[in-house]
Amino acid sequence: MTFPIPAVQVLQVLTVLVAAPGINGVIARIEARLQGRRGPRVLQPYFDIAKLFRKEALAPTGSSWVFLAAPLIAMTCYLTVPLLIPVLTTFPLPFGYMGDILGGGFILALASFVIAIAAASTGSPYAQLGASRAKTFAAITEPVVLFVVFSVALVTGTDLPYALAKTVRASADQIVRPAHLLAAAALFMVILYETGRIPVETHTGTNEFGMIEEARSFEHSGPYLALLRWGATMKQLILFVILINVFVAPWGLASDATVLAVALAIAALVGKCTVLGAGIAVIDDSFAKLRLFKITEFVSAAFMLSVLSVFTLFLGGG
Amino acid sequence: MGSLAGGVAAPPSSYAGVTTALAVLMLVVEFGMLQATLLRAQIRLYVAQSAVISVLAIVVAFARDVPELYGLAAFSVLLKVIAVPLVMMRLLRRTDQEIAGSRALGVASMVLLAVGVAAFGFFTSARFHLGSPVLPAAALAVAVAIILVSFVLMIVRRDVASQAIGFFALENGVSLASLVVAAGLPLILEVAFLFDLLVAVVVFGVLIRVHHGQSESLSTDALTELRG
Amino acid sequence: MTVVLGALAVLPLLAAALSPLPGRWIAPAASVTAGLACFGLSLALVPAAAHGPVTLGFLRADAISVVFILGTAFLYTTATVYSVGYLRGEHQGAGSARYLRLFWGGLNLFAWSMLCAPLMDGLALLWIAVEITTVVSALMVALDGTRSSAEAAWKYVLIASAGLGIALLATIVMYHAGASVLGPSYDLAFAPLLQAGSALPHPAVQLAFVLAVVGFGTKVGLFPVHTWLPDAHSEAPTPVSAMLSGSLLAVSFYAVLRYYQIAAATLGSGFPRAALLVFGMLSLLLAALYLVEQRDLKRLLAYSSVEHMGILAIGVSFGAPIAFAGVLLHVLAHAAAKGNAFFGAGALVRAYRTKEVGRIRGGFDRLPWTAPLFLLAILALSAMPPFGLFRSEFLIVAGGLSSARFVPAAAMVALVTLAFLGLSMATTRMLFAPSQDAPGAASAPRREPSAWMVAPMVVGIVALLVLGLHPPDALTELIARGAAELGGAL
Repeated sequence: MTFPIPAVQVLQVLTVLVAAPGINGVIARIEARLQGRRGPRVLQPYFDIAKLFRKEALAPTGSSWVFLAAPLIAMTCYLTVPLLIPVLTTFPLPFGYMGDILGGGFILALASFVIAIAAASTGSPYAQLGASRAKTFAAITEPVVLFVVFSVALVTGTDLPYALAKTVRASADQIVRPAHLLAAAALFMVILYETGRIPVETHTGTNEFGMIEEARSFEHSGPYLALLRWGATMKQLILFVILINVFVAPWGLASDATVLAVALAIAALVGKCTVLGAGIAVIDDSFAKLRLFKITEFVSAAFMLSVLSVFTLFLGGG
Repeated sequence: MGSLAGGVAAPPSSYAGVTTALAVLMLVVEFGMLQATLLRAQIRLYVAQSAVISVLAIVVAFARDVPELYGLAAFSVLLKVIAVPLVMMRLLRRTDQEIAGSRALGVASMVLLAVGVAAFGFFTSARFHLGSPVLPAAALAVAVAIILVSFVLMIVRRDVASQAIGFFALENGVSLASLVVAAGLPLILEVAFLFDLLVAVVVFGVLIRVHHGQSESLSTDALTELRG
Repeated sequence: MTVVLGALAVLPLLAAALSPLPGRWIAPAASVTAGLACFGLSLALVPAAAHGPVTLGFLRADAISVVFILGTAFLYTTATVYSVGYLRGEHQGAGSARYLRLFWGGLNLFAWSMLCAPLMDGLALLWIAVEITTVVSALMVALDGTRSSAEAAWKYVLIASAGLGIALLATIVMYHAGASVLGPSYDLAFAPLLQAGSALPHPAVQLAFVLAVVGFGTKVGLFPVHTWLPDAHSEAPTPVSAMLSGSLLAVSFYAVLRYYQIAAATLGSGFPRAALLVFGMLSLLLAALYLVEQRDLKRLLAYSSVEHMGILAIGVSFGAPIAFAGVLLHVLAHAAAKGNAFFGAGALVRAYRTKEVGRIRGGFDRLPWTAPLFLLAILALSAMPPFGLFRSEFLIVAGGLSSARFVPAAAMVALVTLAFLGLSMATTRMLFAPSQDAPGAASAPRREPSAWMVAPMVVGIVALLVLGLHPPDALTELIARGAAELGGAL
């Protein structure tokens, strides 16, 4: 029994939509366990979002329509990106050629941009602080992503995520290529930054001065906040998927549209993301948060890795 | 589908991939030294770098069947992973200094400078086409980059301990280069080079102590008397 | 003859081993004896090496290396004699026993490493020897224990070690070049490399040569990597300064010469000569400019060393056999002249208790022996006849003219004249101006510090006169053979 191809496409989006808060819950749980706490239920993020949807929505006086539109636009963006990347299948689905990695990157950047605008429009100091900080460091992380894309392009001749995943699957040699390792490491560091993890910021903390990601949704409430929270977890899962299914471990994907293969692919995806999440939880527990000014060093290290990746490729040794 | 598979750069063999990756790892560690704030951290990074080159020597010895390199790896572990760091650590304990000297440049500009310098090294050494049957030529380019970045380290750091570590890292870069182009160099010469390093460490140590005795710090800011 | 090589490599080491023994006279006596013996041994090598290389295991002495050994051994002898007087005035206290032990031991080790470097057969061993000269001499620079000597020693060891790191890279690249012809298991010995000559891969040799010029050039004191040199020369104890300037720079230049030989055999002489010409000219220019405006006596002499190393590089770049002969003679004459100049400067510094040119006045009144000898040394350094440097620089310029390098030869003469101006202005002011001109100068004692400090200078002037007026036939033969080897004729 096989799914029609469009159904698989829809399933990709749904998987991301549904699984995203769960991954967050898993990470929080593992983190708590490592600290010797019992920790929240894995399903806690779902309950949080559900609760927020039932709450009243408020907007600060003077904020414009952007403030209310931003969560919706961001959510739309996060729902679009899974169409472009290999979430479940090894073969590109109908919309898979619609955009390359750069396209996906643009859409993610758009989401982060509208959220920053919304935060800035509130006039609240903390929200603005988060927005401006996020944009400051993004000035370095965006080139990192660009260089990662360059190295992908040099390896595969295209910058389609499906093509790179295919190359990686083709031979184990690809995995130990220094250029590939460097690009993956750089991407991982960017993901740590983008998802607001240690060593960049404390994910669940309440220390407003250290906040970047978390501070931006300070003024939102009710369903809007729920959308933002949900969107943040989706962004995290999307980035995980790109790292896992394109760079590090593109195995376990469905190579055809049979129900069994797709179901296995969903299970494999959740499993792989859990492993990655566990790794991130370990990092969360074993490092301290960097001082704000040190974050520049963190992201410039990622930048350096990505540049080295392109260099080694140019030399023919990568 | 077929069009996607038409890759541009064929992946290197896993041997070439692993060895180049190890070499690049050394370069990454070198950049780490550039950023490290604590002297202790710098020494640890040096240990890591030396360990990586020892591993690389073992990999080459195994895969390319150059038994002398096992001996070289053993000596370099003994000297560079154990002896030199011990000497440096003892020195630091005596001087009671933990924080490395200030940097003459900000982090971002320093990384950019180092990346530029490394790129220069990469592409100039690629011009000379020094092939080698033992290691991929990219490793040589990485070695040159390491050497140049350790010059940056020695220049931008303003304390004697970091400068000394910069010199040791320079030696690591040269060792990497010698693995690439001179893997067959008689072992006795390689060992002589290493013992020479040890002598240099002792002298650096003595001079660091003299400096500390004179100025009660490891900073080089006081070294401005002699000009002209 | 082979025994001589072994003895040269062992005697200074013996003296160094005896130096820490208690007893006031053991260390000086052992050192002076070792110095004299080494000089005698190297003289004995001259006729033998003039007819072909002498080898013993990994020791090898051909005409080129014997020239450098001769210069080093000469300076070793005079410096040890001078040190006897130098140490008397300064270190009478009980706390100085440690200083004396370190000084004599270090001086002998330093001489040992510099004698060994030209004796080594092979680029790898040569590098090791040069590295040992660096670490020993860096400790000697720091010996005085003052703030500025610590600074000078640190700069020296850091810059020179970094340079030698590059030189090590050069060694490795040269090994790579040789391995493609001679097979992977060879030890970089000179003779096989030179024979392989034209078969070596060009890019690798080119790279190795450039790296060697920059790397060893750091220790030679070539521009722009000379920056440690004035500091180290001015802060080291005077006998060490003399050996640094007269021997160490020359020994490092010897390493460059070896790379030049191989590079010229492989690439033809065009590229190596051009590279040396650029470095030499820049060094000469820089040194001449600094000499005119220098206020520190020992730094003055240090820049004069940069000048002479520049002249050596230019001489090699001219490439005519006569210029090569000039270069080799220049090494010897510079060792004698620079040794004398530093010895004289040391006596002046001792008498006036300052290194500042502006505070030393009336030297001729105060130091009846040192002042004239210092003046003669400066004149010799400025290539005045009838001293050895006149002959050697004349040969170099003549070589430049004979190989139609008119512009560089003319530039060299002009810059040497400028350097002469700087040196002579400072010297005449120090020696002839009345002592009332400078505060403190009038209170300087009116006698020689020590006869031990004067004797080596007399010997030095005699040597310079011999080299200038009529070099012994054996030496002429040796230099001719060395020049032929450098020119690739042998």
